Amino acid sequence: MQIKPDVLFLIANFPVTNTVVATTISDIVIILFILIVNRIISLNPNTLQNATEIVVDYFIKTTKEVAGERAFLIYPWVLSFFIFILVSNLIAQLPGFDSIIFKTSIQKSQNEVPFLKAASSDLNLTLAFAVISVVLTHYLSIKHTGIKAYFTRFITFRVFPIFLFVGILEFSNEITKIISFSFRLFGNISSGEKIMTTMYNIFSFGLPLPFMLLEFLVAIIQAMIFAMLTMVFMHIMTDKQH
Amino acid sequence: MEIIQKFGLETKLFLFQVVNFLMMAFILKKFLYVPLKKILDERKHKIEQSLLETANTKNILENAKEEKKKLLFEAKNSADILIETAKISIAETKEKIIMEAKHHSEQVLADAKQKAEAEFKIMNNQIEKMSVDVSKKIILRVLSDLFTDDEKQKLISRALEKIDEKIKN
Repeated sequence: MQIKPDVLFLIANFPVTNTVVATTISDIVIILFILIVNRIISLNPNTLQNATEIVVDYFIKTTKEVAGERAFLIYPWVLSFFIFILVSNLIAQLPGFDSIIFKTSIQKSQNEVPFLKAASSDLNLTLAFAVISVVLTHYLSIKHTGIKAYFTRFITFRVFPIFLFVGILEFSNEITKIISFSFRLFGNISSGEKIMTTMYNIFSFGLPLPFMLLEFLVAIIQAMIFAMLTMVFMHIMTDKQH
Repeated sequence: MEIIQKFGLETKLFLFQVVNFLMMAFILKKFLYVPLKKILDERKHKIEQSLLETANTKNILENAKEEKKKLLFEAKNSADILIETAKISIAETKEKIIMEAKHHSEQVLADAKQKAEAEFKIMNNQIEKMSVDVSKKIILRVLSDLFTDDEKQKLISRALEKIDEKIKN
């Protein structure tokens, strides 16, 4: 069973995979959404603006509850992760994903590959998100607590053997964060995709419906988990007391 | 390396995703969060202002009620004082009028008494005159046949003198 994305064609030596196409579609959907919201935005909101405001306000309030005054530093990133992952996961539930076949001559092993594949089922994307999340967390930590306090987390000579060990643990924790972030999202979405493909192959009518609902839930939950974990890690790393 | 290949990890794709996300995050922040936050803050400010205005109006209403209560109390007090003053004034006026009336009636009574006494005197004089005339006529009639005219005249004069003396006594 293949878990890597399929290369559809090359543009100036850049391999355009089916997940890259899905990512681009997600970008277009988000940009269109932004354009629509910007056009209708007013003090008396309609349904779409109301829904958007509810989501944005929820994230601002939750970040405020968790991180206090640092919320305005954290929430744009958290919300961006949520929106991007949610949109790309939900788009992957639409018909056409994994079912439209594209003939390619790039791949030697397979000639016919799906034209669209869930963006989050590509480890490149989930790893990129994980790295961005962790790097941003460290950047905000340095910016907010200062370079000295930041390095004290990892290296300290106060009670030598114990705190050196704690420093090593902290460092390994950051590596674990990247791995857990990227593989959680990747694993959930790609396994969901495999389940759906299997169900469609067993019986196309009715049987995939409960799994579709489950995948719909997984799409929302995974976006929420990624965003919330980023929020918590950013709060911990930017807090001077931790 | 084999695992990395199996998962399809590739530097170009990884960098594409990094750049793509950072770009999207920038667009989202600039064109979605900032305008929405502005609108949310504006609405919050308006709501707070409305609530403040409502509280102010409520205060004004409460003050007006208090003022009304105070004014009513003051008006009642003034009215009570006025009624008391009026009562006192009425009592004084009444007493004055009664006194004046009494005084007037006493004066009228005194005048009437005086007038009555004067009338009485006049009447007394008239009665006296009339009684003299009547006596004169009676004596003339009684004595006309018994005495001569001179005697009659002397007798009448003496009788009249006697009557006068009696009346005077």
